[in-house]
Amino acid sequence: MLRILHIGVLAALVLAAGDVYKIKFDSTLQAERVAKLSAEIRRERDAVAALRAEWTALDSPERIQALARRHLPLKPIDITQLDNLDQLSDRPFDLVPPVDAIGALVDVEPHGDRPTGSISEAR
Amino acid sequence: MHAPVPQPGPETSGDKRRERLLYRLLYGRAADRGAKAKARVALAIAAFAAVYAVIAARLVMHAAAPDVHVARRSTAQDAVATARPDILDRNGEILATDVKAPSLFAEPRKLIEVDEAVELLTAVLPDLDAGELRERLASKRGFVWLKREIPTKQQQEIHHLGIPGVGFLDENKRVYPNGQEVSHVIGHVNIDNQGIAGIEKWLDARGLAALHTAGFATDRLQNPITLALDLRVQHALRDELLASQEKFKAKAAAGLVTDVRTGEVIAMVSLPDYDPNNPRQAIDPTRINRLTTGVYELGSTYKALTLAMALDSGKVTLASTFDARVPLRYGKFSIGDYHAQNRVLSVPEIFTYSSNIGTARMALAVGVDAHKAFLKKMGQLDRLRTELPESAEPLVPKRWGELNTVTIAFGHGLSVAPLQAVMAVGALVNGGYLIPPTFLKRSEPEARALAKIVVRPETSEKMRYLMRLNAEKGTATKADVKGYYIGGKTGTSEKVVGGRYSKTKVFNTFMAILPADQPRYLLTVMLDEPQATPETHGFSTSGWNAAPTTGKVIARIAPLLGIEPRFDLPPADRLILTSAKEAR
Repeated sequence: MLRILHIGVLAALVLAAGDVYKIKFDSTLQAERVAKLSAEIRRERDAVAALRAEWTALDSPERIQALARRHLPLKPIDITQLDNLDQLSDRPFDLVPPVDAIGALVDVEPHGDRPTGSISEAR
Repeated sequence: MHAPVPQPGPETSGDKRRERLLYRLLYGRAADRGAKAKARVALAIAAFAAVYAVIAARLVMHAAAPDVHVARRSTAQDAVATARPDILDRNGEILATDVKAPSLFAEPRKLIEVDEAVELLTAVLPDLDAGELRERLASKRGFVWLKREIPTKQQQEIHHLGIPGVGFLDENKRVYPNGQEVSHVIGHVNIDNQGIAGIEKWLDARGLAALHTAGFATDRLQNPITLALDLRVQHALRDELLASQEKFKAKAAAGLVTDVRTGEVIAMVSLPDYDPNNPRQAIDPTRINRLTTGVYELGSTYKALTLAMALDSGKVTLASTFDARVPLRYGKFSIGDYHAQNRVLSVPEIFTYSSNIGTARMALAVGVDAHKAFLKKMGQLDRLRTELPESAEPLVPKRWGELNTVTIAFGHGLSVAPLQAVMAVGALVNGGYLIPPTFLKRSEPEARALAKIVVRPETSEKMRYLMRLNAEKGTATKADVKGYYIGGKTGTSEKVVGGRYSKTKVFNTFMAILPADQPRYLLTVMLDEPQATPETHGFSTSGWNAAPTTGKVIARIAPLLGIEPRFDLPPADRLILTSAKEAR
């Protein structure tokens, strides 16, 4: 009886030792992964910061203004170009129906072939 | 065995047996060896069990404690990388941020061949001084920096050289992506990422430096600081000031946009400025921040304070008149008017013609002591402290007599930091609340809690009226942008050259409120020694240079600040004064 118990305990001991070893091994592996991932996160965060800094430098008003002056025919907005929506007068009645150039392109053939599928699906 | 031995019975209890065992152990002879050995074995088992229990407990403790080893490995890298929080403008645009940059170091004790290392390193980094490098490497110290913040390409080249005892550490490098744009507000840092000017220094003073020393401020997870500054407004202001500085060949130019309801500084420019990425320029004394570090006699702009004092005292009303027929003689001094009218002037006329005589008489009517007390109340006689560490003490006359009151009434004889005067003028137009200016975001209730009531709301209404009137038919007409209903006051002060006021070297200021009926923003433009141009018909007074510059700035920034243009508004006497009467 005692002998069987001894053998049982021994077997349990060996199993437990094996299990503890495995857990220990796994946890080391996990810890290394955690360290690696956090290092990677830090690296990524640094990269994001560097890119954001670069983006801000590229997006700085000074640079944009210089580029716009050189390449675009735009002028600073004039105060007369700003107004409230409620100050807008009603649209005058047209004697001749207005020509909708872009709409005409779409409405050429309501059921025919279309260059893209996206505009015909809705109807 | 002569001692009485208890007879062992067949069914002895455990107690008795233990007693007997003890007895035998104590008194027994050779006959009880077996029992003795058993006890010894038991003792040994107990001892081993105790040792193993200790080991087991330690194991549990180690398992429960965090993995110190892994944590230490990452902090060694970060030990030198003192991170700073990002600085953002009010819309979240980055003004200052950290990026990682490798720095080259050496451990001279581990170095084998010093001469070879010097040769190889100077080949890659030609700007390193060979003599100094050799000296550093030959020293027996454990650690020396060779070059801080080197480009990645050079880092790789040095890495491929494979010199033992030479390595890299990643350091946080502070970068200012907007360069010169916001230099004076955010300041800059030194090579060890410690703030030495502006908001950066304020950050350190607020506890960041202590964090650094303790080694906590290493990661990027600190909350960013949001300033009240608006980068777009800042840029527009700086761009116009640069143009104006060039056009009028001014020695310096400065501009300030503040929110009169909260005391927030929306934009602050002082030209010439510097690039915070290259802080060496900042040492140049011509590049100081003129708005906080410089003190100036603000000239006629100061008349706004005198008028507000006179109106607030109740001794003077808008209908009062003052004699400006002849220059005011005071001892050997004679005070005349630039736009001399040589007649009796009413209070609004004194303001719009910017009459020195009228303002001086008004201040005398209020009295020297009341004048001094009013300026003290408006914060003009004490050093103004903001988040920026740089500040200047106003130059107040030591003995303040009637002559001082006469000259200070029109802005000569008292030098204050422009930001200080802006705070006071803001209080004159916002309903009488003196709000200390701030560079951080602040809401209106917060500002109200800090505010000190300095003038009555009626006085404030009258000041708005006068400022608007001045833009309609006074010295500030060139700043009046149609549709924004601005008000303003010019100021031209003569600079002291060799102890005398110079007629040609002037310091011009212009303060504008926007919109004049319900002021939201106060705009200040200063030009130092602007020259007359053909376009200004030979004039170099404020109305000819600072005022039109302000007009241009307003036209650019008003849409950014969300101010709706309003056309066909009635003139000041009907819009502002009538509303004041109705309110009462």
